[in-house]
Order: sequence, then C-alpha cells, then structure tokens
Amino acid sequence: MANTNSRRIRGDSSLNPTWHYWMLYLLPGVIIYIVFMAYPLLDSIRLSFFTGTGAERTFTGLSNYVKLFTDEVISTRFWTAFGHTWIFFAIHMLVQNVLGIIFAVILTNRTMQGSRIYQTIIFLPVTLSILVTGYLWKLLLSPVWTGDILNSIGLGALSKPWLGQESTALIVVSLVSCWQWVGMPTMMFFAALQGISEELIEAAALEGTSTWDLFRYIQFPLIKPVVGVVAILTFVNNFNAFDVVFSMEGANGAPNYATDIIGTFFYRVGIAGQHPVAIPDAGLGAAVATVIFLMLAAFVIPTLIQSQKEG
Amino acid sequence: MKKFVFVLLALLLLVPTVSIFAQDTLTMGSWRADDVEKMNALFDVYKEASGVQIDFQPTNPPDYNATLRLQLESGTGPDLMYVRSYATGADLYKSGYLAKINDLPGLADSLTEQNLAPWTIDGDTFAVPVIAVTHAVYYNKDIFAANNIEIPTTFEEFLAACETLKAAGVTPLANGVAEEWDILETFFLGMLPNYIGGAEERVLYESGEKKLNDEAFVKAYTDMAKVAPYLPTGFEAVTYNDSQILFATGKAAMFMDGSWTLGTYGDVDFEWGTFAMPAPAGSETAITFHLDAAIGMNAASAHPEEAKAFLAWLCTQEGVDALAKYLPVGMYPISKLEVTLEDAHAQEMLSLTNEKLTDVRFVWPALMDLYSPMNQAVISVLKGTDPQAAADTVEVAFEALKK
Repeated sequence: MANTNSRRIRGDSSLNPTWHYWMLYLLPGVIIYIVFMAYPLLDSIRLSFFTGTGAERTFTGLSNYVKLFTDEVISTRFWTAFGHTWIFFAIHMLVQNVLGIIFAVILTNRTMQGSRIYQTIIFLPVTLSILVTGYLWKLLLSPVWTGDILNSIGLGALSKPWLGQESTALIVVSLVSCWQWVGMPTMMFFAALQGISEELIEAAALEGTSTWDLFRYIQFPLIKPVVGVVAILTFVNNFNAFDVVFSMEGANGAPNYATDIIGTFFYRVGIAGQHPVAIPDAGLGAAVATVIFLMLAAFVIPTLIQSQKEG
Repeated sequence: MKKFVFVLLALLLLVPTVSIFAQDTLTMGSWRADDVEKMNALFDVYKEASGVQIDFQPTNPPDYNATLRLQLESGTGPDLMYVRSYATGADLYKSGYLAKINDLPGLADSLTEQNLAPWTIDGDTFAVPVIAVTHAVYYNKDIFAANNIEIPTTFEEFLAACETLKAAGVTPLANGVAEEWDILETFFLGMLPNYIGGAEERVLYESGEKKLNDEAFVKAYTDMAKVAPYLPTGFEAVTYNDSQILFATGKAAMFMDGSWTLGTYGDVDFEWGTFAMPAPAGSETAITFHLDAAIGMNAASAHPEEAKAFLAWLCTQEGVDALAKYLPVGMYPISKLEVTLEDAHAQEMLSLTNEKLTDVRFVWPALMDLYSPMNQAVISVLKGTDPQAAADTVEVAFEALKK
C-alpha cells in the first residue's frame, strides 16, 4: 500500500512540486523512529561487542558471539530455546491462526446469530494480562487444586501435572498462549472477510455453492494478504514471546528448560541473571538479541517483499 | 517579585547541602526491601545508644548487585552496605570498595572463624555477618499425634512416618519441584551434610579430591528419590507457594523448608513445630546453617569512624540483642554471644543446630556454577532417573568447568 502511494506522489502532480516538500512531513516520524527504534537497536548491537557492566565495560570484539556459539552450556541452552521457539510458533500457526479463520468465517456467516456476543467472548482474553491468566491457568492445570474436582466428575485422567512434565509443558504453555491471543487473528480475518463484496457471496449462493467451496474458492483467496500479515505477526511475536512462559514456568523455563524460549533465555542471560547468582551479562545478552534480530530480518524482509508484490 | 523568586530558589538549592553537613547520617544499602520497618527500629535503638542516625536505602532485591556496583563505581555508594557471602562480596573487596575490618573491636569475641569465612579472603575480613538461615522439616503436631507418630531420629524412621501418613490418606510432604530452586536449596542441600559431612569434607569436593558422584553423593540422591512417593500428587507442577498453602491448610503433614518462612504460619489453626532432617541410621545428623548476609563499610565513606563504630556495636551483646529482636523471624543473627529470640518457633528451629555439625549450603562457597546441574539432578531422581546417573551429570559438569 505504502508503495503505491509513494509512487503516485513521486509523479509529476502539480500538487506536489518538489520532494523537499513531502520530506518535511515525514520528518517527525523519522525522528521518532530514529530516537526510539533505530538508535537503541544500533546501540544494542554495539553493546554486543563489549563485556562487563557500567563503567568497567571493555571492548572484546566478537568474543560474546564466539561464547554464544561455542560454550557448551550456553550454546546448548541457546539452541534448545531456539528449537522451542519454533515449536511455539508452529503451535500458534496451527491452533491460534486456524481457529482464528474458523471463528471469523462462522462469525461472518449471514445466518449467524449473536455474532457480537461471540466476538466479545473470543476477544476478551486479549484484554487481560497474561500474568493474571497465566496464574489462573497454572492453578487450573495443577492436580493439587483441580484434581479432586476432576476425579469427582470422572475425569481423573485429565488431572496430570501438565506444566511439570517435560513432555507436555511446552505444548500446554503454547496452547494457553493461543487461548489468550486467538482474538487477534479472529478480528483481523473478520475484518478482511467483511471487506469481501457482498455480490460475490450472493452470486455464489445463487449458484448453489457449498460453504466449503465458498471458503475455498472465494473467501480464502481474497483474504490471502491478511493471512500473510497474520503469519508474519505471529512469527515476530513468538520470537519476542516471554511473558506467558515467565508467568507459568518462571524465567528458567522449567521443567529442565523444557519451556525455555528465546525470550526467557535472553532475559536470563542479559537482564536478570540466573538464580541465585543473578549476575547478568549485558554484552552476551545483546549478542543474543542481535542474533535474533538478524534471524528475524532474514526471514521477515523477503516475506514482506513477496507479499507486497502479490498485494 | 522576580528577585524574590530567585532568592527563594537559591535558598531551596541550599537546603540539601546544608542538611548533609548539619548532621551525622550514615546511609546503608541492602537487598532486603521487605525489612525497612524492622531495620529502622533497629537503627532507632542504635541512635539512642550513639546519636548517629542511619538511613536504610534498600534496592529491589534482584537489582542489588548491579545497583551497588554502579553506585560504588561512581562514588555515590552508601557508607554501610549489605554484602553477599563468598564470591559476590569478595569481588567488591578486591575492587577496593570495602574496608578491611580485621582490627574491629569485639570482632573476635563475637564471631568464630567459620562465621567470618564467607566474608574473608586471604586473611582479610571485610564485613560483619548478620543474617543466617537454617533448614528443617516443619511438621503438623496435630496430624502427628492423630497418627501416633514420633519425631523421627533416623532417615529410615522418617520414611516410615511418611508411609504411615500416606496410608492414612494424608499427603506426607508438601514439597514440589515446579519452581526448581526450592527443592534444591531447602531439601537436598538442607539434608546433604547428613551424607557428606561439614566444611572439612566440603573443601575436599571443591578441590576435586573427592568426586561429586562418590558413594556419599549417590546415597544422598538415592534417599532423595525415596521421598518422591510421599510428595503431593502431581508434585512436578507444585510451586513453592502451593507447598506453603498445602502445609498451612493442613493438607500436608510436613514441609522441608528454610527458616525464612517461619513467620508465614503465625495464624494457622493447628500446632506445629520443626525438626532436623534426620541422617540415615549410623550417621550423625548435621544441619545446613547458611550464612547469608553481612554488613560491610565503604572504603571511601565520608564518615569512616561512625561507620566503624556501628559495625563494632553489631559485635556487642547489645547489638546482637537488637538484631535478634528486629531481624525478620527466621533470619538469625550470627554470633558466639547469647542469642535470645522472642518467637518460640524461631527459637526452637535455631536450637536444632545446638551440638550439631553445621555448614553452609554446599554449592555456595566455591561451586556456584554447579547450582543448575545439581538442581536438575535432584529433580530428575525424583522423576525416576537412576541416582548414579544423576550424580554423574553433576561430576561431568564439574569436569567441564575445570577446563
């Protein structure tokens, strides 16, 4: 969208005599972007070449990066966290976004009753703090607090320490995060579906299209750009995810690092330090952040260019 | 009018400078942000005795190390400050921020060499120890009485008591592993001296003379694993907070925990007490009495005499009494002098250490890097890993560190 606009403005329109003119309008935005986004980003890259804290910071070249990838303990933690982040992402794509599309299609169906109420219910968790919902889910999922109730209604088999087993913890935490955020893709798909011209739907209905065919051949192709945007947002958010794991499993990504994702790994290394020593290594943390930034950029920029071309 | 405002502003600017020179106020840095009220009460006692005011300025606990270092580097450090034990504190001394206090009056009369060890490096002592914590089993006296259980004196009796309780439908132990740190610090490190002995043995492990997967360690992990059936159902997901609630509501009969939670059970509706985690038959029961905090003085303080006088006061009976009275319940003053506590439960727990061998938590003095590996080893044996295999992972981690 931005591309087509700028192309039009750059043309020889009498309203926009020279480029000096529109540059002025961009200036406030550019300044805010530089001060609050670009500068901190570049500074954190700079920091990744230093070691120590406060006044004792010394330049060490690439040693933080070497440490990150060669130190046995640190590199193992990093790659574990990296792998978990991908699983976390996959579950969000499969559960959160698929559910989002399904909800949106149902909500926009013309025969749907009480659509507003369902919209509110689906969107409600988004407005709550994950620190609160995470804590509530922690209690709900703990056999200590809900085991008796589940046993009394014959569902005792569901009473498992889901968050304490290495095999289930990451999946369960991801699902709670999906529950929390499913409202976002739902609303985006909902808006996109509503943007589809009513005539198209009506014409299809007159031809006797099934709901599935309607979705497959009309709705889905038309909301494809939004699907791309949602996928990118999910990707970026998952690499920045931290709060859901922190509130449900703590900064260590318990049990035995089974829920350690990039966000918690970075927090331990760069900000808080691991209990009980608690001496963070800001330089190493910045190195982690820089590596993540490069990975994100390598993935997102081509995808963005691609989707802009299609759009 | 303008002139008046200007004069007023100038006067306002003068106020802080004047007050600095006007009185003897010392500042104290600390990570104990919860203790402001009690510490202020303690300082009131000191002010009455000496006329010197101390201003308590705690930081957010996780930020203390970093904040303190920044303050000291920029020359704005407090006159007195809480100093962490071992490496963290020693680093500050080596950087020249803490004063050497070997010649402090009363130091040797109040504190043993063992007490001072965590704050002594190459013979230089740099802080006066003030807070220790201990670890023991909290037990519900009502449940014990109802099931005719006596306080166990051996680890085998302890397991038998657990079995009796389990058969009676009571959760024997409230401990869980969800937060990871508590099972290691309170339970495993709490009972470890029963298996490996005290400080003299500990240094052999630190030097590598003894292996971290030797017989004694494997026995400790094996006994740890035997406890698993008596933890709450789903203990894998039981948090520290859950454990406290389970014990406080009488759902669990025992809770192996640190003395710092003594104050938590003030208003429960059952009788409770504490006993030392007993050693296996044939071994002497020992206790982890962990030296946690000391107070040191800034080497660059503007009031060195006053700061030193306060540290000396902490080594007198009067100072120890004040600490006993105003430290939070379950945080014990460290002293050879007589320590009398008002809280009966706290006194009972402290008395468990009488006549027993004590040591600090195993990894603290020199093996802090093994905290996480040992933590995971302890949790893994509870989840079914072979104790020998678990002990091996810690030894492997230690070998890797030495490289």
